[in-house]
Amino acid sequence: MNRTFSLLTAVIVAAASTSAVAQVRLPVIFPLGRSQPAPPPPGMPPVGMNTPEVLQSDLIVKAGTDTVYFPARGAILDSNARATLTAQARWLLANPYMNARLEGHGGADDSRDFALAIGDKRANAVRDFLILQGIAPNRISVISWGKERPGTMRIGTSVVATGPRVRTVVVPAPAPFAPPPVPGQ
Amino acid sequence: MTIPRLLPLLSLAILAGYPADAQEPEPTATVIAIPPLATAKNVETDGGKTWALANLISDLIAADLGSTGNFIIADVKKVRIPSYPEVTAPSYPQWRSVGAKLLLSGFVNSRDDGRLTIGCYVYDVQTGRELARQGFAVTATEWRRAAHRCADAAYQKATGKAPQFDSRIAYVAQSGSGDTLVKRIAVMDFDGASHAYVTSGDSTVLTPAWSPKGDRIAYTSFSGGKLHIRTAGVTDKDDRPLLPMAEENFAPTFSPDGRTIAFAMSQGGNVDIFIVPAGGGYPHRLTTSPSIETGPSYSPDGRRIAFVSDRSGAPQLYVMDSDGTNQRRISFGPGAYGAPAWSPDGSRIAFTRIEGPLSRIGTVSTEGSDEKIVTMGPNDEEPSWSPDGSRLLFQRQEPATRRVHLASVSAAGGEVRSVPTPQGASDPSWSERGE
Repeated sequence: MNRTFSLLTAVIVAAASTSAVAQVRLPVIFPLGRSQPAPPPPGMPPVGMNTPEVLQSDLIVKAGTDTVYFPARGAILDSNARATLTAQARWLLANPYMNARLEGHGGADDSRDFALAIGDKRANAVRDFLILQGIAPNRISVISWGKERPGTMRIGTSVVATGPRVRTVVVPAPAPFAPPPVPGQ
Repeated sequence: MTIPRLLPLLSLAILAGYPADAQEPEPTATVIAIPPLATAKNVETDGGKTWALANLISDLIAADLGSTGNFIIADVKKVRIPSYPEVTAPSYPQWRSVGAKLLLSGFVNSRDDGRLTIGCYVYDVQTGRELARQGFAVTATEWRRAAHRCADAAYQKATGKAPQFDSRIAYVAQSGSGDTLVKRIAVMDFDGASHAYVTSGDSTVLTPAWSPKGDRIAYTSFSGGKLHIRTAGVTDKDDRPLLPMAEENFAPTFSPDGRTIAFAMSQGGNVDIFIVPAGGGYPHRLTTSPSIETGPSYSPDGRRIAFVSDRSGAPQLYVMDSDGTNQRRISFGPGAYGAPAWSPDGSRIAFTRIEGPLSRIGTVSTEGSDEKIVTMGPNDEEPSWSPDGSRLLFQRQEPATRRVHLASVSAAGGEVRSVPTPQGASDPSWSERGE
């Protein structure tokens, strides 16, 4: 008897609380603006799959890194750099619609003009190696940043400067030719 | 009567004018009296009343001369201000009474066409002789240039050095840091006045170099994702690439006649020095070594070029004839040399030498002997000579704040003075202003 009574009470309380929620009639919520992009329809690749940023990450994943390092005032590729660049060349051969921009850097302890020159020399050393690996020369552009963009690298909790290096940046290839004119127009 | 009583005071004043830690006392400092200029009639002009201008001009002349360390400015507050006729007939005893050796007086008059006539006279007070006189007709807002020229007249007479006050400094102004760093070419008078920007800050720019006439600046730019040299008019903003079709080119410098620009250009990774007509054209190659050659600087006679090369394994200084022949190495110290700058008198070459954590500004004779280090500090770089060759302007980085600013030092070494700029500053180029 005692148990039945308590059960009954619980049912009454539950009924009262559900009716209280049901009194608030929420409107149908429509997403507005661009704050929440609509999820891609199933079976389609997500939007932005082939942006240069995504492909840059893909290059880093496939080749290990997008950057090769040099000794101070040196522009000769060591075995690590050659291994990285061989993998980068393989990636570029597999992605023929993307080109590479090689960004050479000088060290912080070079004078300004010399940093520009040695950055250019390093980027061209990478360019020559990629061409040897079968990349067409017109797919590769070169720029030297001298010591204008001293990079940093996080090792554990400390941030250290990365000086002499060449970074391979993936850029979309320009359209090879204009679309053919539609006949009859 | 008053002179003997003033003498001990005067010697005290001379002592007080020099801090005890000044490394380079000027034994030949000259006491000069600079009273306010006179004016025939106090009238309103675009630059203010002529009487107000007269005071501003004498203040500016005093500031110019006082900044050199070669002058002691006599206190003229107690002296009666010379009247207009007295400008050409000074009463010498009253200037002797303040201990002055030189007197610089002058006048400001307004002309009917709205311009100003500014005249100045330098007198030797002891002998009562006129040493120099100069007159200028300037627009009312350009009175600073006339004042600088007046100061130059006294400076030349007292020190025998070339004029330097009517000169300008181009540099790279930088604001922000990291990814938001903005670099712009800026120009200003040597004393910081008339500051103006030449480029807009859309793209990173480096190493400005004045044309000898002072009307154009050649600089290195990254605009359009391409490393290339551009030339820009200082006032008309006529900004264009020097070689629109060439490979990466940078480090421009004008020849002393202004007709040629020497620069560094990459050809498939081999950077060499080239020359090209200042208006653009077909570049002519001067160096052919497979090593890096960059950073050219012309001698004042235009016959030779100093440059940097790493053909020995490390960047060192070299000199060649301006047709590329007769190349000689002139630096042999440890570390990396860079940024050569030929002195205005042609006798020495200033440079940066980076070794370990410190970098140094130094000078070396054109034969490679007598290397002198002038400063040593974190990132002292990119020296540029003052027009008279007495001082070196360079960039220095504060180790604590990492802010880069300009500083100057006597070419013989000594106290380093900070050169104030509105923002961070690097890559200075100091030039005499043309007509």
